[in-house]
Amino acid sequence: MRCHPLFFKLMRSKPAPKRPWHERHFNLLLLLPALLIIAFLTIYPLVNVVRLSFYEYNYLRGTPKFVGVENYVRLFRDRFFLDGLRNTFYFSIAATVAEVGLGLFLAILFHRRFRGRRLLLPLLIFPMMLSTMVVCSIWRSMYHFDYGILNHLLESLTPAVNWVLGLFGRSPLEPIRIRWLFDPDLALWSVVLVDIWQWTPMAFLILLAGLQSIPRELYEAAKVDGASGPALFRRITLPLLRNHLFLALLLRSIDTFKIFDKVYALTGGGPGSATETISFYIYREGFKYFNMGRASAASVVMFLAVTGVSALYIRQVLGRTSAQ
Amino acid sequence: MRKWLVLMAILLGVTSMALAQTRLVIAGRDGGYGVVLERAIELYRAQNPDVEIELLKLPYAGLYEKLVIDLAEGIGAYDIVMLDDTWATEFMSQGWLADLEALGYTPDPDFVDNALAVGRYPYPDGTLYALPHVGNVELFAYRRDLFEKYGLPHPPKSWLEVLGAAALIDRYEPEVSGVVFRGRKGNPIVTGFLPIFWGFGARIVEDGQAAVASPEGIAALKLFLALKDYAPEGVEVYNSSEVKDALLGGDVAIAIEVWPGWVPALDDPERSQVVGLVEIIPAPGLVETSSPMIGIWLLGVSAASRNQAAALDFVRFITSPEIQRQLTLELGHPPTRHSVYSDPEVVAKYRWFPAQLAAMDSAVPRPRVPVWSEIEGVLGDYLQLALVGEMSPEEALQAAQARIQEILER
Repeated sequence: MRCHPLFFKLMRSKPAPKRPWHERHFNLLLLLPALLIIAFLTIYPLVNVVRLSFYEYNYLRGTPKFVGVENYVRLFRDRFFLDGLRNTFYFSIAATVAEVGLGLFLAILFHRRFRGRRLLLPLLIFPMMLSTMVVCSIWRSMYHFDYGILNHLLESLTPAVNWVLGLFGRSPLEPIRIRWLFDPDLALWSVVLVDIWQWTPMAFLILLAGLQSIPRELYEAAKVDGASGPALFRRITLPLLRNHLFLALLLRSIDTFKIFDKVYALTGGGPGSATETISFYIYREGFKYFNMGRASAASVVMFLAVTGVSALYIRQVLGRTSAQ
Repeated sequence: MRKWLVLMAILLGVTSMALAQTRLVIAGRDGGYGVVLERAIELYRAQNPDVEIELLKLPYAGLYEKLVIDLAEGIGAYDIVMLDDTWATEFMSQGWLADLEALGYTPDPDFVDNALAVGRYPYPDGTLYALPHVGNVELFAYRRDLFEKYGLPHPPKSWLEVLGAAALIDRYEPEVSGVVFRGRKGNPIVTGFLPIFWGFGARIVEDGQAAVASPEGIAALKLFLALKDYAPEGVEVYNSSEVKDALLGGDVAIAIEVWPGWVPALDDPERSQVVGLVEIIPAPGLVETSSPMIGIWLLGVSAASRNQAAALDFVRFITSPEIQRQLTLELGHPPTRHSVYSDPEVVAKYRWFPAQLAAMDSAVPRPRVPVWSEIEGVLGDYLQLALVGEMSPEEALQAAQARIQEILER
């Protein structure tokens, strides 16, 4: 059997020259600037915060002194930190669930065509475009006990409520006025309400985009098979909207977990410690008292909590994607 | 060739002009304080056109953060710094401000002693690091018409009289609350409480030890909490704007804390419903004589400034008797000089100035310790817990004392 001439030619040829290093690692080189920026802006500060959390260090006085886990022990003995931790979880859960729930309701509503939809849509997302300080200023005046519009409205409802009570032989009520921002049992929920007002539009937009990406043919086919409204929602809308729902939940829970500005502008963390949050605690320790060691320890706790929550969501979303 | 020569000449001219011009940066406050600084810069520039001045108008917390970072790092981004007297000890003890006497300034006896003393370290007669710019002192306001209507002795001389008057007016005037104060946690509640606390003879720090939970301190807090019964609903979150609105709107009979910066509004018919009805006096006393809180805003020169002489020249200008008088007459700026307080034209315009000067003369500064910001924060936290009823006065002050002691020992 004769070999093909090309075989001999190949046998005679020299091995292919090794490509230069920069060609072999071209992908890495392209990524390098971004990696360096991430390392400089994210990883270094994070490592530094973790390191500082083991030191007693006031920026204004003295050099850092290693104290081991003392900052953490102190944190979990400090009633203001513990109240802040509890309030942050309450705030985050309540605001996220309400914003995504309301956002879903509005998205379903606006997914249909109706008269005035084009006019209402920009109005609906308007609160999101306002500065938080402006939002807080508006709500602070609305919450005012004596002059606020909310208490004014409630007061004007009192005669109607008393009339109904009179029908049942009950004694009339005093004019209804709510201590929105200074009742320790209510203040946190008043701040939650402001967040819901401002950020529900964000969840709404994410979910509306999700709804609009579901092919109409699926609904038509299901209807041909005899599926009704609730079944369509349960079997088609919800499963296909799942990733968008998780995205809205993830973004809103991370954002609400960092709540600071509304507390700062509306209540200053009070009354008592009713609206104290972790971010507010970190701000006070870090930027008012410059206790960088303690602020770092609180930041690490917050970082771990946010990472834990994010990991849960991401696992859900990625797990689902890879299964598909 | 000729074109090139002309161009070179223009470039040289522009460069030499830029080099000849001194540029100062002032880190100052926003709001009314900012307006006063702006006007002073305008006046200064009219006399010194070769000095360019940039003014940064910053809110209270933002100013503190920016100053600490700039001064601690020795960056020198700001030549002139405006500082609250409670920050002064911290800044001066760290060597962040230039010694004004070493720069050639001679202290002026026309300044109110208490105002000048807070710019010195060690307090009250050490090195002079800053000059008093805004003569802020806590004042007390009451409705003369209501006191006369109910035959109450006025002006009230003790905090017990204040409590009695607040209770009586609150009971018989359906539309008027007896008293108002700032109840918001942190600096506001501490500021509202301190004149009462000091009036009872209590001290926050005594001989380097935390002393808030003394029997006098607890008695003062009990009186403060008793006043809350006659305050408007929501006083727990009241800050300056709410106190101001309540007093200007005629909704309260007594304000235990008003400030010179906004007192002129009380006699402004466009803003006030109580024109000529409110009397302004130094805070009452009790065990001690009147002990109003001093809250001077100082102007200092950054130790890292590259234009220290020019910066001092501006500070000297804005705190001079002539300019203070002009700023006071034009903008209601609270002065820090005797000569301005006793000026007939100024007194004719601001009828409470003699009382304001008396308050400055008897004023008490907050403890001159470098850790005051943190002490104030802690005290404010626990005072609020007592105000909302989550802790008894004893528990609140004992907890505050333990935390303050820990801060002092750190």
